[in-house]
Amino acid sequence: MPRQCVVEPHDMAQVLDPGSIVVADWHRSADSKEFFSRILHKKKRRNFGLLEALVMPPNVSVDTVHYKIFISGKSGVGKTALAARLAGLNIPNMHYETTGIETTVVYWPVKLRESGRVLFFRLQLWDCGENALRRFDHLLPSCKEQVDAILFLFSFTDRASFDGLSNQIARGSEPCDRVVKLVVGTKFDLFMHTDVTEREVTRFQEVWGLPVFRMGGDVSNVSNLGEVAPLLNCLAEHLWHQDCVATRSTILPVSTQSEAANVVHV
Amino acid sequence: MMLQQAGSVQLLCLTANSGVPLFTRGASKQLPFSVIGSLNGVHMFGAGQGVVLAGCETDRGGRMVWRVFQDSVMLIAVSSGGQAQQEGGGAGEEDLHLRRLLENVWNCMVLVLGQDELASLRNVERLKRDLRSCYRLIDQLLEGGQGQEGIMGDLTHCADCLLPPNATLLQEGLDGFTQAADSEFGCLMVHGRIATATEKWWRLAPQEVVLLSVLARSLSLSGSASCDTPVFLPQGSPTVAHRLLRFQLLPGADVCVLCGPSPTLHRSESELVGCFWSPLLEALRGSLAVGERCLPGSVTLRPDVLALLLINRESRRSVSCVKAIITNPNHPPSDHPLPSKARCWELLRLFYTFTTTRYFPLEESPALTPGEKAQRGDSLREDFALGFSHQPLQCYLVTEECKCFGLQTAQHQLYLLTPLSVPTFALRSVATQTLSTITLATGF
Repeated sequence: MPRQCVVEPHDMAQVLDPGSIVVADWHRSADSKEFFSRILHKKKRRNFGLLEALVMPPNVSVDTVHYKIFISGKSGVGKTALAARLAGLNIPNMHYETTGIETTVVYWPVKLRESGRVLFFRLQLWDCGENALRRFDHLLPSCKEQVDAILFLFSFTDRASFDGLSNQIARGSEPCDRVVKLVVGTKFDLFMHTDVTEREVTRFQEVWGLPVFRMGGDVSNVSNLGEVAPLLNCLAEHLWHQDCVATRSTILPVSTQSEAANVVHV
Repeated sequence: MMLQQAGSVQLLCLTANSGVPLFTRGASKQLPFSVIGSLNGVHMFGAGQGVVLAGCETDRGGRMVWRVFQDSVMLIAVSSGGQAQQEGGGAGEEDLHLRRLLENVWNCMVLVLGQDELASLRNVERLKRDLRSCYRLIDQLLEGGQGQEGIMGDLTHCADCLLPPNATLLQEGLDGFTQAADSEFGCLMVHGRIATATEKWWRLAPQEVVLLSVLARSLSLSGSASCDTPVFLPQGSPTVAHRLLRFQLLPGADVCVLCGPSPTLHRSESELVGCFWSPLLEALRGSLAVGERCLPGSVTLRPDVLALLLINRESRRSVSCVKAIITNPNHPPSDHPLPSKARCWELLRLFYTFTTTRYFPLEESPALTPGEKAQRGDSLREDFALGFSHQPLQCYLVTEECKCFGLQTAQHQLYLLTPLSVPTFALRSVATQTLSTITLATGF
């Protein structure tokens, strides 16, 4: 029987335990201050233009690794809001359809657990309105071109978006590509109106073997790093792991900086 | 007299033939369905009698205007009026504002969805759903001047510009970048205004330039790093979509190009943006420093200028600024406190509307004779302009908040606000001097 072109749950890459590669909750420790201060400005997250890069004092050498992440999900689940939340931008207080591709850049410092080496992850989030994707054929290939990770979104208040996840995942995956996949449930704060039960989420997680995150809640404090840290750390961890596997090194590349494909010197 | 603010505006969109409501935007309290039905009905009744109903006024000062586009979609704007109407006026001014709104809204529907989808009306339910993708721009237009201070293009149909101190350098950078992106249409926006654009960009229809600025601003406000948005050009390409690529070079400075199928967003960002713009980082910072004043530091405005709007009639561009008001703490507050910055922007819009509905010709393309305008049923000019053979060149207005002076030459229109303390007889010389100061220093 020919091999089907859909991704079966068991094809999924290994799920890493949080904190197995990067230091979990590093933003809370004192030694992370000088790094996190670079992504903050007046107690808010700094917005970087494309011509700007993170600048560290000359005695500190930190590499920046670049990744492209596509946010996928049904119309109205909150793709744009998630991108804004992860970047610490103002979250739009009204829902508007995204009429094309919008990308958002998130800088996130990470400390590797074994070597103690610090890296800046530059995550470019690609967000595209679902209706625009349907109307214009060129947008989806553009989003998937050289993508490193896909975030699959569903909304806790929209049953159909949860049921459609497996289709989303199938659409987002080529048979043998190297793409990190995470699932994010949005609007978790609206538990009064929830359409998706905890048990169903747990079961989904078991079947697909994908990490599932729950996002939602207070949008007033966009600079709250603790809220986005678990997701960003998990993303960083999987991306770094994927690169390490790709460079076929059995040991994590702790000192040989050029091994990981995406490393760029600052 | 007082220059009155337009009341809250509600926008209705229906199918022209069957009157099926497609959407309503604006105003928190929606009109009841029966009222919407009547508004459609009265227009339809007129059409049956061979009359085009363009607008009307209620006895409590509400205004409404109708317009059918492409025989497919009818837009109705309803303004609540609300405040006491000023004597013997207001109607024409409100009309200009509402008519421009309808035109802009239609153009932005075409921009997002293309003319074919709007004109065919094959599947009304699908159209309703697709129209949702226009809401962001429509709501921004409904906010008018209140959305982003100092943006006048939606009203004047002249592109809001910022005159950077290092224009030649930026122009060269932009030309190179645009060409490398396989395009001829490029534009650099600073603080939501056009700092420089390629020659072809300026050859787009003025409304398109304004509309693309509205779109670029809304994309820029979200704080995103880059965008790839399909756009139809209402005049230039209403049925074939182009791609508007936008890159945030620095917060507040964005470059846009209109392209065909290539290059991809990824490629242009990784290969072109840094290569063309990194060398110009200082020049970009220099333009950002101009701020919302829009004029380079070399232009010194007289201290008695409160706010100004200068339009180049030939190139259909405008610059506008409101001066930061420095109040002297040693002086006791005067009887006539200066209007706030936000109010100055509002007054500038109101004075522009006042002047163009009464005295100065509205910049329209193509130019229509008054007779043609009257026939089209969308005449905004009042009897003065229609009844006289001459064209007023200057006008002034003294209000309870400030004094206003309007001035026009073959090339320019200048709208100026001054504090009440400036003697009325001095307004003309303040205005002429300001006009020559700016044009000599910048060549605008």
